[in-house]
Amino acid sequence: MNNILTAANLNKRFDDLQVVKDVSLTIKKGEFMGLVGKSGSGKTTLLSILSGLEQPTSGTVSINGTLITDASENELAVFRREKLGFVFQSFHLIPTLSAWENVALPLFPIKMDNEIRKKRAMKLLSQMEIDHRAEHRPSTLSGGEKQRVAIARALVNHPEIIFADEPTGNLDSETSGAIMNILKHLHKENGLSILMVTHDQDLAASIDRIIRMKDGKVVS
Amino acid sequence: MNLRYLGKELYHRKRRALTAVFSLAVGIAILITINALSKAYNEAARMPLKEIDTDMIVQRAGNVPENLVGPVFACSAVTIKKNEVDQIRRLQGIQGFGQALLLWVFDEERFTIVLGFDPENPVGPGTLRSQVTQGRFLEKGKNQALAEVSYAKNYNIQIGDKVTVGGKVYQISGIVDASRATKIAVANIYLDMDDAQKMAKESKQVQNVSPFESKDANILFIKANPKQIDTLARSIKGIMGEKISIATSASFLKHLGSLFALSDKFSLATSLIALVITILIVLKTMAGNLAERENEIGILKAVGWSNKDVVIQLSGESIIQCLAGGILGLIFSLVAASLLGLIQVNIPIPWEMSPTPHFLPGGGDPVFKTLQLPVTISWRLAAFSIILSTTIGAVTGGLLSRHISRIKPSEVLKNE
Repeated sequence: MNNILTAANLNKRFDDLQVVKDVSLTIKKGEFMGLVGKSGSGKTTLLSILSGLEQPTSGTVSINGTLITDASENELAVFRREKLGFVFQSFHLIPTLSAWENVALPLFPIKMDNEIRKKRAMKLLSQMEIDHRAEHRPSTLSGGEKQRVAIARALVNHPEIIFADEPTGNLDSETSGAIMNILKHLHKENGLSILMVTHDQDLAASIDRIIRMKDGKVVS
Repeated sequence: MNLRYLGKELYHRKRRALTAVFSLAVGIAILITINALSKAYNEAARMPLKEIDTDMIVQRAGNVPENLVGPVFACSAVTIKKNEVDQIRRLQGIQGFGQALLLWVFDEERFTIVLGFDPENPVGPGTLRSQVTQGRFLEKGKNQALAEVSYAKNYNIQIGDKVTVGGKVYQISGIVDASRATKIAVANIYLDMDDAQKMAKESKQVQNVSPFESKDANILFIKANPKQIDTLARSIKGIMGEKISIATSASFLKHLGSLFALSDKFSLATSLIALVITILIVLKTMAGNLAERENEIGILKAVGWSNKDVVIQLSGESIIQCLAGGILGLIFSLVAASLLGLIQVNIPIPWEMSPTPHFLPGGGDPVFKTLQLPVTISWRLAAFSIILSTTIGAVTGGLLSRHISRIKPSEVLKNE
């Protein structure tokens, strides 16, 4: 299996605080990898670096052969739009837009007929089984529904890899299980590569491969 | 720019959007209203002269008549020599020229204000042609006279009657309502200039106070290029000396005394202050709005919006809000203009321009031209304010969104 992501000797320092220390790792195509560790261990910062949301102080990251640590801010934006999907703990939906518009958000800067955008968004909402909530704004959705919308948004641009930062962190256990099932389904059925940050040991147990972090270092 | 997103942002964040729109609307309304008001006062000040199709009226002050017998000159309008008239007529910037002769005629049985003018010249009293209510206008060389309507009523003068003025007999050819035209150049009897000049030349009282030749005059009516009026006034003073009075729209404006009428600089300064305050309010409102939306902008960037995409979207929102503010401001100012248009202004006519002797009953009373303030908003001003508000939106939106688009998504998203 080929690597979809390769990171080498990553370091990240904020002033006097080094939060990521000499991390090297690879993610294979179609792999579901978990990044676990205690709060403050540097896992979210590492995920930000690996996904191009943050530049490392040193080290390199390449995704599917593209060295993203050398890319300009705008090149990275386009790269994220075309190749990556994001799911956040706090959902990060735009409060003024409806569910389907939130799903279509990455498509807004692309010249495209609005009907096509809506069609793509509706298809994904249907897959997430919340197409009946398509016209609702985030404030009227439950936590589980919001996360389903966020997952649909992460999928709308047909990404090569999804970065999920504690996607079940704000959900009850039942809803967490449902969201995990969706991610597992996407991984198994669609062959999607997923890197998921979690501190939930139970969830981590069902993932292909686990990397543990402590004090900014990969420990296992 | 995504219009759907733009529309939803403005619709669902009404308070924020309305604050920006109303702030700008008030500023733009103040700006337009001040300018419209200033223009209205300028326009009002032009009215007394505009009504007689003139831009400048020139008179020379002199001595008071020794005896009030027969034809005399008012002390505010004594002889302007023919050679002076000819020199002035040739000045650059003059677009039309008329001369007149104002006489007070003290006959045994009545006092008559007489104005002589060239009936074929449309500049100055020639505009009375359109104010003839009965009969016909003066014709040259026919020994005719026009009677002012109230004078004709007082003395029961009819068309075809003969009136004696200064010992000469004239046939009334028409009745004219000079009150409709202006407070300037109002007389009881209007004569052909040649007849009036003859009367002045033969008058001992006139000759004793101010020697007069048959082609001289005592009032000049000048139509001029508005940009050259000040230069012309200086040149006329150079020809006639300092003891003259020149009435222009600027001199009427000074008499009005309103702050808006005092100077264009006042209007400019107030407009600039209003503009600067408006821009600052818009900047503050927009900056506050964008600061609240840092997280949202972080999301946009995380899901693949480039800095340029963010700038275009946010600038679009700013432009639309400011455009709406500009349109609303224009509507506010149209309402304000229609209310201000109800104000009546009294334009004082300088005493030297009033043809009535001050020693007669009511002659010393201040004379006013009363009119409704002509407050209008020109298309040019309306278009300027819309362009200005859109530009404010583009500049403030562009500057602020450029700044905020540089935020790192990881920084704002991890703080949640």
